[in-house]
Amino acid sequence: MNSQVTIVVLACLQAVPQPELFSSALEQGGLKARVIREPCSSKVEVFQMLRTLADEADLLWVVGCPPEACQLVEGSTRMAKRVGHAQEYLQEIGLEPERLGMVYIPFGDQEIISATVKEIQQRAQTLGINPARAGTGVPKEQA
Amino acid sequence: MIVGTRKPLAEIQDMVKKYDRLLLAGCDTCVAECASGGQREVAELAAALQMGFRLAGQEKDIQETSVDRQCVHEFLLDVVEAAQERDAVLSLACGAGVQALAARLPETPVFPALNTQFIGETAERGLWLENCRGCGNCMLGLTGGICPVSRCAKSLLNGPCGGARAGLCEINLSMKVDPEVPCAWLQIYDRLQALGELDRLLKPTPPKDWSYGDASGPRRVIRPDQQAGG
Repeated sequence: MNSQVTIVVLACLQAVPQPELFSSALEQGGLKARVIREPCSSKVEVFQMLRTLADEADLLWVVGCPPEACQLVEGSTRMAKRVGHAQEYLQEIGLEPERLGMVYIPFGDQEIISATVKEIQQRAQTLGINPARAGTGVPKEQA
Repeated sequence: MIVGTRKPLAEIQDMVKKYDRLLLAGCDTCVAECASGGQREVAELAAALQMGFRLAGQEKDIQETSVDRQCVHEFLLDVVEAAQERDAVLSLACGAGVQALAARLPETPVFPALNTQFIGETAERGLWLENCRGCGNCMLGLTGGICPVSRCAKSLLNGPCGGARAGLCEINLSMKVDPEVPCAWLQIYDRLQALGELDRLLKPTPPKDWSYGDASGPRRVIRPDQQAGG
């Protein structure tokens, strides 16, 4: 069982043109991180978020532009609704909805990026390993 | 189209908990349009079930598939093949699709993941409205394309009743409905007035013969010209 907390960030390139900033900052803090570049946060689907949490992530963060700055007009708004829907699903599953977070970042805003990294680190410390993801060593109970 | 909604995850989990190898089968027509049973929803449910079962201490082998129309047997060949190696199938189709699949899989349990709701219309993004009850004797030609059987809470054939207020059905008084339910008969009146055809309403509509509807047992449609064989 891997005891290192894994963070996956789905980052809109319009908001964060250099999303590897997230992985380097999170890894410096002792977390394992993977950044997936998205052309727009509206590209992120509910099944993608759930699958990512089921397969590899202990925490998942979606990064988009502020709604008023979204180049695809309603991309960020759609993303927020999908995140909300996925969080409801997590609640139904019995998993903490806080494992899925989102943030709006105005183009390349360093201050908000740093604050987001800090928030993710705190959340990782509080929630720890996702017991519902693959490879967490859940003892198999034959039905 | 047929509108369906997903069953609560706990109910689904309970139905299939004793099976290790599951096939989730979606339907990419009606229930994909209403975002409850298409490919995306199959993937969502697969991941959700996987996580739900892990939290319950079980690891499941879940396979996903989807077909254009689960209610048409010709479309089921791939699902039937995929189901051969599975302990149970969870169908995200409407009730008709679930039953067609079950008929094709006599030795494999098939369970519904959705509750089939109604024949409806996509009124706007994220809003589906019931507007056909399949009564078997359509009267839309009389009522200006607005169905009083499905859209009037009392299914009145001659309306409106005395309960309409400000263009709204009286059920809004007792139920909190958003958006509010309009009075179908006032809509019919407005529509026919706009068409200059209010005279359609001068003659009262006689009692409806419900034997064309679901009052005479399971219905069937037979078209010899469409049937196979000589």
